[in-house]
Amino acid sequence: MDSVSSEGLSLITNVGLNHYLVLSSALFCLGLIGVLLRRNAIVMLMSIELMLNAVNISFIAFGKYNSNIDGQIMVFFVMTIAAAEAAVGLALAVSIFKRFKEVNIRFFEHLKG
Amino acid sequence: MTADAFLFWFLAITTLAGGITVVSIANPIYAALSLAFTMVSVAAVFVTLEAYFVAGVQLIVYAGAVMVLFVMVLMLFDLKHEIEAFARGKVSGAIKLLTAGVLGGLLIGAISYSPEGSKVAAGANQVAVAGDATKNLGYRLFTQHIFAFEALGVLLLIIAVGAVALSRSKGGTHGQR
Repeated sequence: MDSVSSEGLSLITNVGLNHYLVLSSALFCLGLIGVLLRRNAIVMLMSIELMLNAVNISFIAFGKYNSNIDGQIMVFFVMTIAAAEAAVGLALAVSIFKRFKEVNIRFFEHLKG
Repeated sequence: MTADAFLFWFLAITTLAGGITVVSIANPIYAALSLAFTMVSVAAVFVTLEAYFVAGVQLIVYAGAVMVLFVMVLMLFDLKHEIEAFARGKVSGAIKLLTAGVLGGLLIGAISYSPEGSKVAAGANQVAVAGDATKNLGYRLFTQHIFAFEALGVLLLIIAVGAVALSRSKGGTHGQR
């Protein structure tokens, strides 16, 4: 009983790599739920940004705990790709909105041609 | 409880609360605001991991530029009355939630069973992360990763042209009625 409670306490007080990884995977799953459940295309893009941020947290955490700086360089690349993806996604949303006055994801099937 | 642990738990709670709000709130403007909150929390997490330069870039690029882009497009659309914020089917929604839960459970289980602190062997890749980190970062970015850097520049150019071409097709935003 005593050892169990002290183990739980050390799990709270000794923050290590695993804590950051668990935070990262929880945030990633939140973003996944957002992409799957929401129907507004812009909110789906926001959820994708959440997932990318979660991945960034795990890159930086691995980089710190392995004392390797390449993780931070990868985070730069992810950020650039995320900005590009947001720009293209919002341009698509604008072109959907011009046709249908709404950005619901079900209108995206009309984008063919 | 040490200051580090307190900071981590505080930032974890704010990050996850922001993420839950983004996913669950129906008004897209509020979702964008809580996404900005989440971005700032993630930048603070980067600070606790001693990645100061990346934290600054996160604040400028995400909480600044990308969020302004989102909020501007939302204002352009004037989406006050949003119908169908969420997917309709109850069964499919339950399956989707279950999928995400199973993925999260698998990830967290794998993490908690993995040996903590498995370090890589000391080698050429090992660079001091603290201290002169920003200098090291720039040095490695412009020597070892220069090809990826240039390729990203080309990609950004293509994306800029493509985004303009997409949003200009068939007249402006306030097109024919």
